[in-house]
Amino acid sequence: MSELSITDLSKDLRSAIQNLESNKNLDEVGVVVRVGDGVVWIHGLRNAGYNEVVNIETADGIVEAFALNLMEDEIGAVLLGDDSAVKAGQSVRLKGTVLEVPVGPELLGRVVNPLGKAIDGGPAIVTKQNGLVEREAIGVMGRKSVHEPLMTGIMSIDAMFPIGRGQRELIIGDRQTGKTALAIDTMINQAKQNTGVVNVYVAIGQKFSKIARLVDRLKQEGVMEQTIIVATSPSDPASLLYLAPYAGTAMGEYFRDNAQHALMIYDDLTKHAVAYRQMSLLLRRPPGREAYPGDVFYLHSRLLERSAKLSDDLGAGSLTALPIIETQAGDISAYIPTNVISITDGQIFLETDLFHQGIRPAISAGLSVSRVGGAAQTSAVKSVSGNLKLGLSQFRELASFAQFGSDLDEATKNQIDRGQRLTELLKQPQYQPSAVWEQVVSIAAVTNGYFDTVPAAKIKDAQAALITKLGSAHKKDMTELDKGGKPTPEMIKLIETVARTAAKGFEG
Amino acid sequence: MAGRLSRRRIATYITDGLVGGTHKATLLEQLAAYLIETRRTNELGLIVRDIEYQLAEKGHLSATITSAYDLTAETKKAIESFVKDKTKATNVSLTTMIDPSVLGGVKISLPGREINQTVAHQLTVLKTRFKKV
Repeated sequence: MSELSITDLSKDLRSAIQNLESNKNLDEVGVVVRVGDGVVWIHGLRNAGYNEVVNIETADGIVEAFALNLMEDEIGAVLLGDDSAVKAGQSVRLKGTVLEVPVGPELLGRVVNPLGKAIDGGPAIVTKQNGLVEREAIGVMGRKSVHEPLMTGIMSIDAMFPIGRGQRELIIGDRQTGKTALAIDTMINQAKQNTGVVNVYVAIGQKFSKIARLVDRLKQEGVMEQTIIVATSPSDPASLLYLAPYAGTAMGEYFRDNAQHALMIYDDLTKHAVAYRQMSLLLRRPPGREAYPGDVFYLHSRLLERSAKLSDDLGAGSLTALPIIETQAGDISAYIPTNVISITDGQIFLETDLFHQGIRPAISAGLSVSRVGGAAQTSAVKSVSGNLKLGLSQFRELASFAQFGSDLDEATKNQIDRGQRLTELLKQPQYQPSAVWEQVVSIAAVTNGYFDTVPAAKIKDAQAALITKLGSAHKKDMTELDKGGKPTPEMIKLIETVARTAAKGFEG
Repeated sequence: MAGRLSRRRIATYITDGLVGGTHKATLLEQLAAYLIETRRTNELGLIVRDIEYQLAEKGHLSATITSAYDLTAETKKAIESFVKDKTKATNVSLTTMIDPSVLGGVKISLPGREINQTVAHQLTVLKTRFKKV
């Protein structure tokens, strides 16, 4: 073998690279064959990849689309903007990238569209990084079991259906049952309790007036600085509605991957599925049940699988998801609800009847569940809410039975009385999330019978009196309790003493 | 009933025939008959593009040069050698087109590929950048 000259080898290699690179000006082009309803069909571009961005040269400038249907003769791509300027015969070029959005702390406090462009009238957003809109979820070894609580500040959730960081908990219910309110309260609680959790609220096909109201409220509550809102309106193309949750997740993943904690709220995935159905039908994909395409399960599973609690090696960050699903007439066995129920780690079911009875949040104790949150529940709350869920479910059953006016034994009457007090206690006004200690003392006062002499109608007053007294006279103890540790017997004694004193002022 | 043939398969059949030396008129007659019978005559333009693409892959390249003004013979010659060099095609046929709307510069269109150095294209890119800002 002749002697190898490294210099020659290097020179030859450089020359080969240069020859290959000299073709870089020779763009691969295709041509628009037909266009309509936000979908463009392209001839050519044989090297296009799935989800790859293509640039269509129109008289009004370059319009972007992303390739979803890669077929033998043509490509079906979904436009990311207005289709009015796109015409048959126009040139289409491959951009050479898949969809990306800007990510980073620069987005905090901003309202953006799914492409990461500011739509709040503020300055253009310049970030140091971009994140992939479609990204594979973290593998098994990169994860850790959910063990840290994500306090929602909503007593009934934190006590009965605790949510952990990295969990996916579905909020499901009919229209106007307070689904968004639950999510917003959870966001507010992150600021009030100073948890450091970043909120990403993804509005899918929401009216901009509603988003403007939400932004105002979040600003009032001081939450907006740790919140990103990804907004799409009903007038946006279906492609943007489809992309919104993925883009929002990419923004949330930045914090997860940088050892921080983020909370994703997808409001709502029903509209997301509808947008995807529209796109799929226009792309001529075969319709399945309820005209949804066959991969509608994968649409949501690949999205929600990106929410995770990372292992210590990866920084122990987390991405918690609260997807929202709207049901029709309380039917949770419809196609999309059952899909998302099976993907998530539990659901909070909101009932219209309860909502109209004034029980708000209208959480159904029987149909709601948190499958992994138990391990993440704060010890303090866990110590007082042992059989709260069972008791409340039994009470609601008994209460409906008692409506018939039949004679009831003493034990049943007591159970109903305590259930009524508990129901009253768990009513919580919007925008007023409770701190851990407030939850602990309130639940302990009712479940331990300290408020047994207080009629149900006066429970909220007695609760307020108890909280005021403990918050002012025993601030140090309550600060300790707020850390989440199991209350000591002395602490329980203190709560009992103050609760019984408070109850005296409201005896019926 | 036979399945619908893709345009790519039709183009492959025609290209193989043309390169293999089959009589051109026979091939075209066959294609015309097939398109009429299957009611796909409206796909003719796309099939021609596919044939061009496949011929280019076999070294027979047809290029279109679009410019605002007529190009000199020297420029055309230079473009032809440039295209040959870039594509390694053995047989290049050039078609020139005068289109005042490109304003200036030149656009070289090859099957499935393109170099667009026209002023109109640069302006479109610029317009898009301004819009984004």
